[in-house]
Amino acid sequence: MQQHFVIVGANLAGGTTAIALREEGFDGEIVLIGAEPRPPYERPPLSKEYLRSEKPFEEALLKPANFYTEQSIETRFGVRATQVNPREKVIELEDGDRVHYDRVLVATGVRNRKLRVPGADLEGIYDLRTVADADRIRAESGSGRRAVLVGMGFIGSELAASLRHLGVDITVIEPFKTPLFRVLGEQVGRVFEAFHREHGVQMIFEESVAAFEGTQRVERAVTSSGRRVACDFAVIGVGVEPVTDVVAGSGVKIENSIVVDKYCQTNVEGIYAAGDVANSYHPVFERWVRVEHWQNAIHQGRAVAHSMLGKREPYEDVHWFWSDQYDYNVQYAGFHTGWDELVVRGSLDERNAVVFYMQEQRIAAAVAFNRGRDVQRVMPLIKTQVQVDPAKLKDESVDLRSLVPGARPVRTHQHRIVPRPVARPGEEAR
Amino acid sequence: MQWYEIMSFDDLWIGEMLGIEVGGVKILLLNVEDEVRAYLDRCPHRASVLSEGNLDGLTLTCATHLWEFNALTGRGINPESSELIRFPVRVENGMIYIEVPKAGAIPQHVDEGED
Repeated sequence: MQQHFVIVGANLAGGTTAIALREEGFDGEIVLIGAEPRPPYERPPLSKEYLRSEKPFEEALLKPANFYTEQSIETRFGVRATQVNPREKVIELEDGDRVHYDRVLVATGVRNRKLRVPGADLEGIYDLRTVADADRIRAESGSGRRAVLVGMGFIGSELAASLRHLGVDITVIEPFKTPLFRVLGEQVGRVFEAFHREHGVQMIFEESVAAFEGTQRVERAVTSSGRRVACDFAVIGVGVEPVTDVVAGSGVKIENSIVVDKYCQTNVEGIYAAGDVANSYHPVFERWVRVEHWQNAIHQGRAVAHSMLGKREPYEDVHWFWSDQYDYNVQYAGFHTGWDELVVRGSLDERNAVVFYMQEQRIAAAVAFNRGRDVQRVMPLIKTQVQVDPAKLKDESVDLRSLVPGARPVRTHQHRIVPRPVARPGEEAR
Repeated sequence: MQWYEIMSFDDLWIGEMLGIEVGGVKILLLNVEDEVRAYLDRCPHRASVLSEGNLDGLTLTCATHLWEFNALTGRGINPESSELIRFPVRVENGMIYIEVPKAGAIPQHVDEGED
């Protein structure tokens, strides 16, 4: 009998799952349902290349629109799923339709938190999640325009960099001491602060927005201490919350979002979750983690496809993401909430460093500035959670690969290699 | 095009990769499971230096945005559409030789596409 797999969430995770199911040879029915009226696409360019008009939307698409028809994937784009009903094994849609499922993936992602302050509903106040949001922000941006950015997390930081590139005057209002303070701590946050200041971003820390003012459109933001910041538009980036409405009342366990095991399965038979909305058990960190990264959406999307097909392969990827800001390639690998020691390898002042977030001499996570190579090399140390000597991490003469137990011998080629022109291979030099 | 004698084959261990300059061209030299390969040391994505990346078995990973390539063929794994610029390699009498065009003849194309 034909199997019916339904995917709720036509985004990077959901789209990847649909593609992976077909790649794995699944020949049953696949229905891909998404609230946005377009095929799955990648969101990282929305705050960067797409916003700066350096890259068309088509290049952000996961697959061209006709791919889904060719692969016999039924799509319901622009229709929100309202309820997963495990008793009848149906998904209810907002247009009244009901879709039967044998197995369903919930990949509903996250939504942006709203700022509930007076004036928040004035015109000219935006947030960024979808391509339509990016279009609105782009339409406001131009040389000499003034913007207030509320919140300086990764999205706020990338927006600041891109909007500066477009010539927008930026004032950031951020409740913590530095950008990214809660995630990365003060020492690393100061690095972000410094390079944003060097690029002309004004920043107000340890203040929140008390109100927006204006007659119809926003004209200024008022901070908690009463400062008034004039602006032509504002963008809010104050975090996200998981979208779990669709499983309310279904019996699916919700704790900081939808709880799944290492196979991306919920406690309710036939219901799976992946991507930003999944709080999944991670065998490496021995805890539940919820990760909002591009790479996780892809890898967990593939993993859940395997799991829905009955394969028992635990999902234990070490998380990784990048954030390009100005000329800096920032990377993060691992997963950390706190740390008992911060170890710096390289120079933070020169923005050429990798910072290790340590717990009991194990690397929980690493953040790198223009040090992709070190991130690659530290991945095995995170994955194995072995104890490492902080002094060795700090010592640039120690190759990080040599710290991995059972690693192949590591050496550096000391002598300079001088290529010698020859007429043909094996012959003496000319 | 010009052939160059680079180094002893025994001195490039399995799994090792080197960034070297040959006749003004930056070359990525790899020993992939005992096969020597030479590519332009520049990621087709954003021109990052590939020799800063990682070689694990057959997979070469660029350190900047984790684009992955098959180190034996130079073809993209993720994304599939990308490809490295490859140069002829010969091993003769225990020495590695690479044939490299003049620096000006290297295509400058960089994919400004997805991240």
